[in-house]
Amino acid sequence: MARQSRALSASLSASLALALLSACAGQAAEGGSEERARPGVATGTIIGGTPKKGGTLTVLSNQDFGHLDPARNWVMPTMDFGTRLLYRTLTTFKAAPGKRGSELAPDLATDLGRPSDGGRTWTFTLKPGLKYEDGTPIRARDIKYNVERSFAPDLVGGPDYAQRYLDGAEGYTGPLEGEHLKSIRTPDDRTIVFSLRRPVAEFSYTVTLPTFSPVPKSREKGVQYDLRPFSSGPYRIESYARGKKLVLVRNPHWDPATDTVRKAYPDRIVVQQGLKGGQIDDRVIASAGADASAVEWSDMQPASIAKVLPRPEVRKRLSAEQTGCTDMLALNTSRPPFDNLKLRQAMQYAVDKSAQVTAAGGPALNDVATGYLPPALTGGRAVDSPYGTSPTGDVKKAGKLLAEGGKPDGFSTTITVSTGDKTRAEALQQSLSRVGVRLRIQSVDPSVYYDTIGDTKNAPDMAISGWCPDYPSGSTFLPFVFDGRTIKEKGNQGNVSQFRDEAVQKRMDEIAAMSDAESADKAWIDLDSVVLRKSPAVPLLWKRKPLLVGDNVAGAFGHPAWTGQFDFAVIGLKDPSRSKG
Amino acid sequence: MTITPNTTARTGPSALPEHPLRAALRKLWGDRGSRAALIAVALLVLVALTAPLLSRLGGWSPTAFDSSAIDPYLGGMPRGPLGGVSAEHWLGVEPATGRDLFARVVHGARVSLLIAFAATAIVVVAGTAAGIAAGYFGGRVDTVLSRLMDLTMSFPSLIFMIAVMSVAQDVNRVVLMTAVIGVFGWPGIARVVRGETLSLRHREYVEAARVAGSGSWRILTREILPNISGPVIAYTTLLIPGMISTEAALSFLGVGVRPPTSSWGQMIAEAVTYYETDPMYFLVPSTFLFVAVLAFTVLGDALRDILDPRGGRS
Amino acid sequence: MIAYLVRRCLGVAGVLFAICAVTFVIFYLLPADPAAAACGKTCSPERLAEVRHYMGLDQPVWRRFADYLVGIFAGRDLGTGPHALHCGFPCLGYSYENALPVWDLLMDRLPVSASLALGAACMWLVLGLGAGVTAALKKGGLLDRTLMVGAVATASLPVYFTAVVLIYALVRVGGLLPYPTYTPLTADPMGWAANLLLPWTALALLYAAMYARQSRSSMIEAMDQPFIRTARAKGMPGRVVVAKHGLRSAMMPVLTIFGMDLGALLAGAVITESVFGIPGVGRLFYDALQRSDQPVVLGVTLLAAFFIVVANVVIDLLYAVVDPRARS
Repeated sequence: MARQSRALSASLSASLALALLSACAGQAAEGGSEERARPGVATGTIIGGTPKKGGTLTVLSNQDFGHLDPARNWVMPTMDFGTRLLYRTLTTFKAAPGKRGSELAPDLATDLGRPSDGGRTWTFTLKPGLKYEDGTPIRARDIKYNVERSFAPDLVGGPDYAQRYLDGAEGYTGPLEGEHLKSIRTPDDRTIVFSLRRPVAEFSYTVTLPTFSPVPKSREKGVQYDLRPFSSGPYRIESYARGKKLVLVRNPHWDPATDTVRKAYPDRIVVQQGLKGGQIDDRVIASAGADASAVEWSDMQPASIAKVLPRPEVRKRLSAEQTGCTDMLALNTSRPPFDNLKLRQAMQYAVDKSAQVTAAGGPALNDVATGYLPPALTGGRAVDSPYGTSPTGDVKKAGKLLAEGGKPDGFSTTITVSTGDKTRAEALQQSLSRVGVRLRIQSVDPSVYYDTIGDTKNAPDMAISGWCPDYPSGSTFLPFVFDGRTIKEKGNQGNVSQFRDEAVQKRMDEIAAMSDAESADKAWIDLDSVVLRKSPAVPLLWKRKPLLVGDNVAGAFGHPAWTGQFDFAVIGLKDPSRSKG
Repeated sequence: MTITPNTTARTGPSALPEHPLRAALRKLWGDRGSRAALIAVALLVLVALTAPLLSRLGGWSPTAFDSSAIDPYLGGMPRGPLGGVSAEHWLGVEPATGRDLFARVVHGARVSLLIAFAATAIVVVAGTAAGIAAGYFGGRVDTVLSRLMDLTMSFPSLIFMIAVMSVAQDVNRVVLMTAVIGVFGWPGIARVVRGETLSLRHREYVEAARVAGSGSWRILTREILPNISGPVIAYTTLLIPGMISTEAALSFLGVGVRPPTSSWGQMIAEAVTYYETDPMYFLVPSTFLFVAVLAFTVLGDALRDILDPRGGRS
Repeated sequence: MIAYLVRRCLGVAGVLFAICAVTFVIFYLLPADPAAAACGKTCSPERLAEVRHYMGLDQPVWRRFADYLVGIFAGRDLGTGPHALHCGFPCLGYSYENALPVWDLLMDRLPVSASLALGAACMWLVLGLGAGVTAALKKGGLLDRTLMVGAVATASLPVYFTAVVLIYALVRVGGLLPYPTYTPLTADPMGWAANLLLPWTALALLYAAMYARQSRSSMIEAMDQPFIRTARAKGMPGRVVVAKHGLRSAMMPVLTIFGMDLGALLAGAVITESVFGIPGVGRLFYDALQRSDQPVVLGVTLLAAFFIVVANVVIDLLYAVVDPRARS
């Protein structure tokens, strides 16, 4: 999902565990600031070792899931939860921390799909013996049916890759009235063939999305399917009181022999919703009774950092995987002052990114972003910025560019942020004042934030906006954020900068048409720095997702594909008998 | 329906030789509790009035970041004991930004008291006007106004205020909050005033004025208004703590003033998750809010006892 | 009496209608577009138009309002085709967020808020009236002064402050109580009470303080009335006078306030529920507001208004029964 919730953007902490675990087993005092700045456990560490089968895993959350219906589920952590526990997809990500987690494994399908016609046609074969929770077989036409459902105007909110990629999908409004798509064929119960309108090299990744999971037509309940998705995964829903509690129990018809990814350790998974964020942190830190077998769903609060970092035994229970999203300061290129290239470039130097880091929870939970594409899409390391490496900016160069842009004394400008980002906006206000730019902050409720900045006529000069790739490919990032053709007059999202550049758009089309995924990846990275020189946005932060686990939890790690949420395929308990507490 | 109009006879205008206001003040000063409340209120008002001066004295503006006062590696916790209390930051600093708490809390006093006073003014003016009109003219005017009072009182006011505040985006938050709080407050005082006016309407001196040819306006302002001013003043003072609390509650829920403006409720809302790790941050704005509400309540109680010894209690 | 009842019921309907209309207009002015929010981040204009039609947002506001009002009694459908939903009377529409009927959501959360409100009410009545009456009978004494100073101070503490202090003292440090959640009374009565004890206390302290002040003054006033003095003069024992006459006449004004307070709280104590993380109506309202889930916000507002208005009517009826003159 691209839109991250920014309510608690400041949260954080984390990763400290790594630092702790690896670096300093014996030293009590924290070393120099270099040492302390190292984000801890970030990548590659599994908390608690290998789990044992059985017990009840508790998930503590401050909110409800948006949509569990696989046609509508497009929020990263919820996609993780849904596809790992309730519904299987054609392919999925490996259950491994770090880079290996971005690799694919076949799931319902026997392989990663077979392209033909230059990548325009993709064929998948289902494994034999796949069953739903009631023991009936999973058939290729059920996958087709769910893809079709995602076109229905009442089942909205889900990933729109099917709409973008499938041939002849224009004007299609779903299967509820009995119409079907011709571009998906199911010659038999185990074969499904997708015809695309253009070559898509990374279609194997596309089918990790919940859109490509099976829903039998007989179970269709329209909008209320959301309440009880029919399970093809290792668990089924026992009860679901929205906003309060969801209980999952084992699906007896899920056959581990058909599943190389999911381990399904716990017998039951209980999600408690609507709790108070700070109380969740306190409960998991204390790890008393059933809370020892609990994991956090929502980010740890910034205020809890001081309760966690100084205590090694708690700190090692903190996961802080990179979210893989990039936080940006979007500059409205459609009108003055930021239709002026020099003034936009001046902002790259004027912004104090280290102040952003502090306002968002500190270096333990945030890295300074040097480009738009997150490290996960650029081979694991940060790209070099054409604007130098000083995280506090460069006031002199900013001043020079302002002078070249005709505003040597600075100017007045506006920013709109959602209330959760207010501290960060204030930090921006401070840092821009160093070069004479006077920033007026308008903060709006999270519920109307995207509508406010998406109204192109009344959009502010600046906005803080983030984007997360849907899967590790530049094609799920740059075209959403910087393609001028996606701009809409109202409800404009993604390209908040309203950046229109013919050359960039042409290059995007060329890369999208590449049939070789590897050279496409390289081309996206090159394009990233091309766009960065035109400066439609200032990259600010790469955040980490801080999540605590109780001390009876094992096999926990933040999965890179889902913004650092725990991989629910392999999480479990050290001692299942303790979980009954 | 809450207020039983005070129909017992009241001895007309006070027969005391001393000016009634001065007498009231003297009585207030005579009691230890209300004297303390009076001093606290005066101090708070003074703080609010001189906030910019005070924060300059402290050396920090309420919006200036001080990154040296916080430890970024601990999520921006203040350095030093007691939430970073030092010669430089008298009451410590705000976590994550290092902004000066003293400067923020005195500026917060400004916003909190300004909104409370302004909303009270709206309530008192609107409520008194409506109450007098309803009580004096009676008949259809009374019916319409009383219905309006019933309707306003039936609104789930807090829920409604939250909804309105979160809907309105592009407006002056302070003005809006004042208006919204004011809109729901007027029926209470209107009922008191209406009851008082009813009991005065047929009093001899009013009738005398009418017979002498005085117009309604003159009777209302010269004869009725002065005679209900006692209860109105007492009621007004008792309204203020409620207004302060309401403003704080709305800001606490995140629908109050916009950043970087501070108000007590907004500060408490942000500090509430830090109650354990940085108790000072939580206690400073809470203490100010507590003292303000307490002082105005005590003062209001005392004034009511003096000015309106038998008046409506609700 | 019947005519009076009919008149009151009509009044109730009128008030609810007015509140409904005002709320509707306020949300019509909201810049948020629920269709765009539902449709997701990359919604094409054509798809957005379909969604808007599906949600009924392409209708003019008066039409939507009329549909809403009629729908309350006649029921409404969401969508068309084989999977269309229907909700019957009383139908308050469907949540934009999860397509559940608003009425069901409210009824699901109401027991939580009702548990909170009623439990707290019992606590504050006992505490508040006890303290108030005691103070009134010992008027001017040390006990009176202590109680009243305590009451003024407690009433000045915001509930979110009390809540934090209680959690810190009893849960974090004392370890005596669990973190507040909600367990249904029917499932586990002990757990229900243990989980709600903290929120009850936080809420009850605030109200108890106000009730102590109120009941003290009305008690003093009552004890000063001629008929009490007469009863005393006739040699009736003090305790009987207090119980039979003093309390009864002193409780009427308290009862009035109690009805209003309880009515307002039944539909959710927004702050208390949000500070403690209790899934009641107030929390539902607050969450719905954050997501511009207008039908839910409207539903909670109406429910809250309903309780307040009904509480008023009940109080008036009680008065009318006691005193026929009040029926005018």
